[in-house]
Amino acid sequence: MATGTLRWGAGTRPPLMSGRRIIVLGLLVILGYQVLVPLLLIVWTSLKTIRPGEPGFLDLSFTLANYVRAYGISEFWEASLNTLYFASLSSFCAFFAGTFLAWAVERTNMPLRKLIGMITLGRIIIPGVIIAISWILSASPSIGVLNYLISSLIGVPRFFNIYSFWGMVWVQSLEMTPLAYLLMAAAMQSIDPRLEEASAIAGAGTWPTFRRVTLPLLLPAAAAAALLLFIQTIESFEVPLLLGGRARVAVYTTQVYFNTSRMPTDWGLSSTYSMVLLFLSLGLLYVYFRLVRHGERYQTITGKDYRPRRIDLGAWKYLTCALSLLLVFFITGLPFLTMLYASLLPRFRPPSAETLESMSLINYRTLLTEGGYALKPLWNSTLLGVGTATIIMLLVAAISYFVHKTRLGGRKILDFLAFAPIALPSVVLASAFLWLYLLVPLPVIGTLSIIGLAYLTRYLPFALRFVSASMVQIHTELEEAAAVAGGGWWRNFRHIYLPLLRPGLMAGWFWVMVHAYRELTISLMLARSSNRTASVIIYDLWSNGSFQQLSAFGVLMFTILIILVSIAQKISARYGIQERV
Amino acid sequence: MVRTVRMVGIALAVFFVAVIGRPVFGAESSVEQLYAKLAKLPADQRAKQLEDGARKEGSLNFVHTWRGKIARDHVNLFQKRYPFVKVDMGDIGSQDAAERFIAEEIAGRHLTDILTLGVPDMAIILKQNLVARYPTPATRAILKQYQNFIEPQGRWTPWYWAEHGISYNTDLVKPDKAPKTWFDLCKPDFKGQVSFDPPETRFMAGLYVMMGEGKVKEWFKCMGQNQPIIQQGHTQRMELMLTGDHAVQGDNYFYTGVEAKKKDPKAPFAMVLTAPVLSFAGAMVINKNTQHPYASALFVDWTLSADSQNLINSILRGPLTIKHPYLPDDVKLVTYNIVGDDITKRLHEAWNQSIGRMK
Repeated sequence: MATGTLRWGAGTRPPLMSGRRIIVLGLLVILGYQVLVPLLLIVWTSLKTIRPGEPGFLDLSFTLANYVRAYGISEFWEASLNTLYFASLSSFCAFFAGTFLAWAVERTNMPLRKLIGMITLGRIIIPGVIIAISWILSASPSIGVLNYLISSLIGVPRFFNIYSFWGMVWVQSLEMTPLAYLLMAAAMQSIDPRLEEASAIAGAGTWPTFRRVTLPLLLPAAAAAALLLFIQTIESFEVPLLLGGRARVAVYTTQVYFNTSRMPTDWGLSSTYSMVLLFLSLGLLYVYFRLVRHGERYQTITGKDYRPRRIDLGAWKYLTCALSLLLVFFITGLPFLTMLYASLLPRFRPPSAETLESMSLINYRTLLTEGGYALKPLWNSTLLGVGTATIIMLLVAAISYFVHKTRLGGRKILDFLAFAPIALPSVVLASAFLWLYLLVPLPVIGTLSIIGLAYLTRYLPFALRFVSASMVQIHTELEEAAAVAGGGWWRNFRHIYLPLLRPGLMAGWFWVMVHAYRELTISLMLARSSNRTASVIIYDLWSNGSFQQLSAFGVLMFTILIILVSIAQKISARYGIQERV
Repeated sequence: MVRTVRMVGIALAVFFVAVIGRPVFGAESSVEQLYAKLAKLPADQRAKQLEDGARKEGSLNFVHTWRGKIARDHVNLFQKRYPFVKVDMGDIGSQDAAERFIAEEIAGRHLTDILTLGVPDMAIILKQNLVARYPTPATRAILKQYQNFIEPQGRWTPWYWAEHGISYNTDLVKPDKAPKTWFDLCKPDFKGQVSFDPPETRFMAGLYVMMGEGKVKEWFKCMGQNQPIIQQGHTQRMELMLTGDHAVQGDNYFYTGVEAKKKDPKAPFAMVLTAPVLSFAGAMVINKNTQHPYASALFVDWTLSADSQNLINSILRGPLTIKHPYLPDDVKLVTYNIVGDDITKRLHEAWNQSIGRMK
């Protein structure tokens, strides 16, 4: 049996119908169901000028009219060029900041590193609209508190202008930094320190070792981070609409929004714009695969025992700590303080003695006393977040294993299907699920299940890249050794891969779980009276003009998240790989 | 393997496409016949039949486009009056509400009995012939100045109105320097100081009715040259203007500013009432295939009752049967309903060319 297992173990071809093949088939069916319907919807609708449901929508006559309308205007190409600059610069800055924080927190003996890591992650839950507003209140030329301070100190008025291209890049970079941090931190937790030690013995200092040893080993995670950051920035909504409109800088999102948001929704044009993202994602996925094609180069988790070691920065650890604190202040501290401040006010005003006097807890009281109005959605989001994140991580762990550790037919289709939803705008995805379950007689409408199913598709691409980056770090020799010892692939997968994937799984799980609190479009479209989520409440509060209550709600969510992160860290510290300092 | 995936894909495609395009609409529905019959009854008899029918039905699925607390308060008030009707309410925006309603009806799942929408946003569901004609005596209570909102064929029932108007920050603009007309917003004094949301059909339609197409395009042009601020979110823009971020709102609902002033009398907010205020109705529509025709009709009629209208008044929206909570009687209102698809499309394009155009 051992020989048989080894014969079609890692990197070899199994017989025609094996357990693994059956699982791949099962995954293909699940992904086909979850992904092909919305994909089909956008491709079909992009070739139609008739709305779904109208006579002729089914006819096999197609037109490129939407493509001419979408891409035949100079504004689209101007916006695309702006988007390219905006996404490249924001992704680069976020990647740089996120990698620095991940390195400082995971690989050095910097003081306060746990706190810094936790605060960086806490940022993810703050609603995007609060972030954008808090930066307007901080760095608007007219009312920005920072401008006021600088003007008082050095006499230069309007020093910062958040309503500019660079203002957009700044806010977007800070918005994306936690994603880069999560991906890079997960990868850094799994680097074998002996490689760095060897470099140090050969006389290389900390920086050359980081540049020549650590960074190349992180290439899969770095490529995944760059890919997600870039696409996520292209899709970003709050910054382009709240700051870009004012800065008169059109990007892809604003172009799409201005051209498709009128009543009735222009499905044809909307789907046509989505096709750009689909092809772009495919192109970037191809580049990603080219970059990480020599998977064996990044396999740092081998059969030899290793324990993560922290780099002793000496006196530099204080400077590193100061820099990290400054970064997390901009990423999380400033928006959180703005949110906290606003949550205590009846109406937002700049700080003054009079404003301080008007502070109260009324916004919190209103939220918590209205018959559980805010509490049930918070509970729904928690259930959805934990449930969806767990299912997604199990799915992507399996997908990632088949893609990176086997040569089974269909594995690239698996990867494509799991990644393709990144190109689907949430509104298209939500509509597709709405249509699907209106037609399929399953009792999911009005339940959390329908939202969970849509989240599953929405967050698959992100979760997959988190886990894939960790998967390529695991050497196949572990599975081969287990196979020789008689372990079947399922047992090996459970006992070798899942524990070693822990950093990527935890990071991805966290990412999906938190976004279940923030996701708005899908939740709104599929919400009914009994399945409202936290983000729907955020939207209610925002659209009803209660920025103060919205801030109070944000503070509550932030607190819940910090508690969850603390618990996760405790569990992680208890069961994780022991580190040596 | 590839073949299997392809087959699964094709099966899904055939299934999806086969059902999504199913046409569902017919002529006059049984619900409309019932409403036509009810319309012929004397008022008291009609009211009794509605109540008895609603009592038997016992429930109602309603999509509100008001959000959060105000929507819940509104429905609670109805349930207080008619405790035998259990209202299952969802609250989403006009656009999502309309799209979702269409999807449900095309799929043959009649999950929504009634929904409320801004009338200018209603064109698509009227075009698809999804709503029941509901002639109701309740509209007789609507004040004279709002009677333009009434739809002669009964396809919708107006129950409140909303406004788009000019307002400004009194700390940044003194009343004598404030804009007096819509074209005043083009003055150099307000360069870079006037904010708008991204273009909305309901705003475009109002401008069209107020000025006519030629003038609207002219206004877009001069506005575009005055570097307006385009920023998403009515409420948010109001908050920012009151904080001093910019001076004037080119289009916004007044109630957010009035509400701020109510909370804090020092809030620097003022409305421009010398320029016409664009006003459109929020209206109830009943699903042609409603599963609860009596409860639906009862609810629609109730929205024009004193209870409902007083609530509208208390939350600073525009009631139709009683005096407006803060606007004077002589305010210049431009009332409008739906303008043609082709017109709004042309206006959107003109906006994009003159105002929406960015770097």
